[in-house]
Amino acid sequence: MDKKRLFIGILVFGSLWGLTECIIGPSISDAGLPSGAIMTGFFAISLMMMSRMLFKQRGMQLGMGLVAGTLRMFNPFGGCVICSAIAIAAEGIIFELIWYKMSLDFIDLKTNTLKLSMGVISGYSCFVGAFIITQILTPLASSAGFYISNLLVFIPQILSRGLLAAIIGGITVPSILVFKNLDINNVKDHIFYPTAVAISMICWFAILINTFMIIGA
Amino acid sequence: MSLGKEKLIPIIALVLLLIGTSSSAYVYSIQSNADSIKVNDQQYTIDQIFFIAEKREFETLDFSGVALDDLIIKAGVGCLKCHKYTIIGSDGYAKTVTWENMQNGLLTKEGLSVFTDLPKAFRVKNVVEIEVI
Repeated sequence: MDKKRLFIGILVFGSLWGLTECIIGPSISDAGLPSGAIMTGFFAISLMMMSRMLFKQRGMQLGMGLVAGTLRMFNPFGGCVICSAIAIAAEGIIFELIWYKMSLDFIDLKTNTLKLSMGVISGYSCFVGAFIITQILTPLASSAGFYISNLLVFIPQILSRGLLAAIIGGITVPSILVFKNLDINNVKDHIFYPTAVAISMICWFAILINTFMIIGA
Repeated sequence: MSLGKEKLIPIIALVLLLIGTSSSAYVYSIQSNADSIKVNDQQYTIDQIFFIAEKREFETLDFSGVALDDLIIKAGVGCLKCHKYTIIGSDGYAKTVTWENMQNGLLTKEGLSVFTDLPKAFRVKNVVEIEVI
């Protein structure tokens, strides 16, 4: 695939992911729902699966995680900003590792059991792995420092909270794979580039406007 | 695709679901209530804490409560800078902070610890213990 098209793909899907994390994530949290599990199990897994399905390129989800994590830093509201940014980037890395050995056309996933299982593995591993990584890196970036005992005592809670992300992931992945025959290469350049750039710009502007609105409130 | 992978993927998924389920059962069984808070091995009710310790307010963050550093002093801890302080929530969430951080921290009536000089990850909900280490 053409590198320029891939780069724009990373930008647009990373921006969409960042937008959901900045706007929808805090709203879910404010509603008293488990935002972390919902954001990972549904939004993050959906967008990473869609991008892998459409572009069929390894490494793309890692790039998306970096773009979305950077966007999250631009919206310093709703929960722990640095933790969210680290978690988003970590989810991209973990997703890449999980799907590394799987074929890019998903021919490996012949049965619904396999699709559902990959969803469970992706949802649980991304959520739990990213949670643990933030619990290590966030204190390291602060004046308080990191204490392994703080992490170990909280591990059962992290493993427990991952259950919802696993269940949502188990529904999300088979649902996305219904559209696995879609191919982004069929979209002509004169439609792809302006649309992708416009979507990315809308995401970035929406986040900046949201930030200014919260500051002004 | 090898037969091994076809069997391995569902087994891994099942194991992860079992880990999540058993952890949930464990977390539920150890859940403690936040009616009282243990500070330096002494039990206090939230009303007692608000009676003995100085009030503190973070206007920009919209939080008010008692000063964590004053609470530690009133709990009779000596050599304040020699220790670290672990704030533990009812769900087991724990964060260890320094004396300097405690001087910028407060505990709300709802049992939430807030620090102005630390990320939000250091906000512990339903505090049940402040351990001096």
